[in-house]
Amino acid sequence: MRRIILTGAAALLAAALAACSSGSSSSTNGPSGSANGPTGTLTISNEQGTQWNCSFNPFNPGNLGEGVTMGQVYEPLMFVNTLQNAKTTPWLASGYAWSTGNKTLTFTIQKNVTFSDGTPMTAADVAFTFNLLKKFPGLDVDSVWSVLSTVTQQGDTVVMQFKAPSVPYFYYIADQIPIVPEHIWSTIKDPVTYADSKPVGTGAYTVSPCTPQNITYVANPHYWQPGLPKIAKVLYPAFTSNDPANTYLATGQAQWGSQFIPNIDKFYTSKSSDNHYWFAPIANVSLIPNLTKPGIGDVAVRQAIAYAIDRNKVGQVGEYGEEPGANQNGIATPTFSAWMDNTSAAKYGYGYNPAKAQALLTQAGYAKGSDGIYAKGGQKLAFTVINIGGYSDWVASMSVVQAELKAVGIGLTAQNLAQNDYLNRLYAGDFDFAYYAQTGGPTPYYEFRQWLYAANSAPIGKNASSNWERYSNPATDKLLDSYAITTDSAKQHDIVNQLQQVVLSDVPYIPVTEEVGWFQYNTAKFTGWPTQDNPYAIPAAYAYPDMGQVLLHLSPK
Amino acid sequence: MRYLLRRAGFFLLTLWAAVTLNFFLPRMMPGNPAIAMMGKFRGRLTGPARQSLETIFGVNTHESLLAQYWHYLGDMATGNFGTSLFFFPSPVGQVVRSAIPWTLGLFGVVTILAFILGTGVGIVGAWRRGGVIDSVAPPLLVITSAIPYFWVGMMFILIFGLKLQWLPWSGGMDITETPAWTGEFIGNVVEHAILPALALLITTIGTWTLTMRNNMVTTLAEDYVRMARAKGLSNPRIMLDYAARNAVLPNLTGFAMSLGFVVGGAILIEYVFNYPGVGYMLLQAVEN
Repeated sequence: MRRIILTGAAALLAAALAACSSGSSSSTNGPSGSANGPTGTLTISNEQGTQWNCSFNPFNPGNLGEGVTMGQVYEPLMFVNTLQNAKTTPWLASGYAWSTGNKTLTFTIQKNVTFSDGTPMTAADVAFTFNLLKKFPGLDVDSVWSVLSTVTQQGDTVVMQFKAPSVPYFYYIADQIPIVPEHIWSTIKDPVTYADSKPVGTGAYTVSPCTPQNITYVANPHYWQPGLPKIAKVLYPAFTSNDPANTYLATGQAQWGSQFIPNIDKFYTSKSSDNHYWFAPIANVSLIPNLTKPGIGDVAVRQAIAYAIDRNKVGQVGEYGEEPGANQNGIATPTFSAWMDNTSAAKYGYGYNPAKAQALLTQAGYAKGSDGIYAKGGQKLAFTVINIGGYSDWVASMSVVQAELKAVGIGLTAQNLAQNDYLNRLYAGDFDFAYYAQTGGPTPYYEFRQWLYAANSAPIGKNASSNWERYSNPATDKLLDSYAITTDSAKQHDIVNQLQQVVLSDVPYIPVTEEVGWFQYNTAKFTGWPTQDNPYAIPAAYAYPDMGQVLLHLSPK
Repeated sequence: MRYLLRRAGFFLLTLWAAVTLNFFLPRMMPGNPAIAMMGKFRGRLTGPARQSLETIFGVNTHESLLAQYWHYLGDMATGNFGTSLFFFPSPVGQVVRSAIPWTLGLFGVVTILAFILGTGVGIVGAWRRGGVIDSVAPPLLVITSAIPYFWVGMMFILIFGLKLQWLPWSGGMDITETPAWTGEFIGNVVEHAILPALALLITTIGTWTLTMRNNMVTTLAEDYVRMARAKGLSNPRIMLDYAARNAVLPNLTGFAMSLGFVVGGAILIEYVFNYPGVGYMLLQAVEN
């Protein structure tokens, strides 16, 4: 994960490791290439900044974000691949169908699936899982019951009725809900606080054992897909800071990394020809304006800012070139390039153009004061931006932006805060500008909805869940609602084009760099990794349920 | 007896004040744990799910602050520390209990060692004032105790862990080990503890040495020491039984106080060596 506290450790270790030979691997590997049964031990390096609490409850947001449970222990109905334009492949369900005007969704459940304790999994367990979410809203973190009206089992299918067509919720329902065993979870009094330290799921791996310092996953002997998984053991150590995690990767003790490694070529790739990395963009880290504040509320100011920032430079300097610069269309390329509206992009021509930025301000009636800052009617364009102090790459990115804005006569001062304090102020709207990213989803619609939908916002002082800039435009809401009722690809592309035009003209937020999935991998002992040519899943160990897909595709050499 | 009772009473008073502060301070700060949860979700937590989480965390309970305080005191007395926010849904007691042995083991043992060794060097140094040990050890140890813990730790990792590969440099035990009272496991734990312990030792030993040496020097000038010398007692006996026993008193008080700090853990050492102690949990608790 990306959190780096400002120590000189990485630099120190990098310098030293450059001089020393690559360390011996202490991971034990069984004989490779055996015909029957899984072999080999894979070690993951994904710093979470905490020791494990050995809870595998797949509805708990903390557990999910760590990548410890969903995907490899529990499985969802279908797999929706963000990196292949929401391509959907069967998982626990062999197929699905929309009917009655996209208000009914029917899943056909695979046969011959068993849980890790040998009990067969049936459509009854699926229906039970969804109704469990209805009974305990604390489990329903994706709010699927805000659109569902009933979920019932019919033989080996599960039929879901919607209150109104909400096609995009397919992703949350099919890909993000883990199917849990009814015979266990029906006996749990409070599933929200249930630790689930000995999880029983349909997944390829079971936990045996879990200590605060390491989780050992072993291949599930009852796994329903024959011949899988191919790797016998997966180790997931707990790291409280980035440096040991990065060093594990550099010395080869871990083969699958999800780390932000500054100077990655010097520190990691140069250590071995088998060390590789690939960062796939999935969302936009953006400068978030508080649209209710004077000065910032003026669209000319926001457009000027969008022309004043050299996004590629921010990516180079702030993110060591590991995150590409974003674009004002709000489309993360090349992952979602198929959705990019090049016509409107060309029409507005956003890019690094400080002269145009200043021209825009002058046209709007701003005049440069004696301190070099533009002002109009007493309103100076001098603002503060809040940022998470612990993310040193974001702090560096903001200092680049600060310098670039100063060059066009807009003052920006950074306030680096502790994470909880920052989130408080972000949600409550207590900021001029903020720097953050949305979660996104398998198509650009999800990110646009998170940014632009008025219902995701809240008045200043109340907590907004994702529309922190307080953008509200009924026409945009209508666009977003119209996307939700259709499965027609041409219509969806047309709507997303219009959404891009909203972002281009209204500039409700300013994408700066593209958030990537952090991924390092070592090909010496394992093969089958996702690559740019074969992006079969998001390759980060914290991506769920994608990390389960990765483990199903990997095999020892 | 009265002395003990008075001490116990004062202890209880301090305990009550600390617990009360611990109750009111976090509640007076902005933000609540549900917001931290929302942060983990990057905004996907809305409506009923969020309210449900807020109920679990005890936010918005509509109970008066005084009633909450009363329940809190009751929970403290019965040892029910509630559910952890950061390690949700594990109970706090379990979380702390899993980390305390590592902290007590590493930090406790090192504190005791540092005290004994530092005091020992201080005694010998003062006895042979101006001698070899006195000229080298106290200045050297004072310098090493001025170096920040984490820098020493990182240097050790670099030299002994990575370059020479003599010792393991991450974790409290091998990640594939399961805790068991076998010789092999204990050996593994000790092996993992050597580097952090050494780093902690050389940075803390200096203060004990210096204070002990200075106290000894003043004690050696006392009349009863001269009397002992006049009586013809052996040097080691004078050094230890007459001088050191009196000179060690301030150091002993400091040692008793530092034992109290052991429970807080050594955050920096745990951070650098990825050691599973309580110190880093303290940091996380404060940050969240």
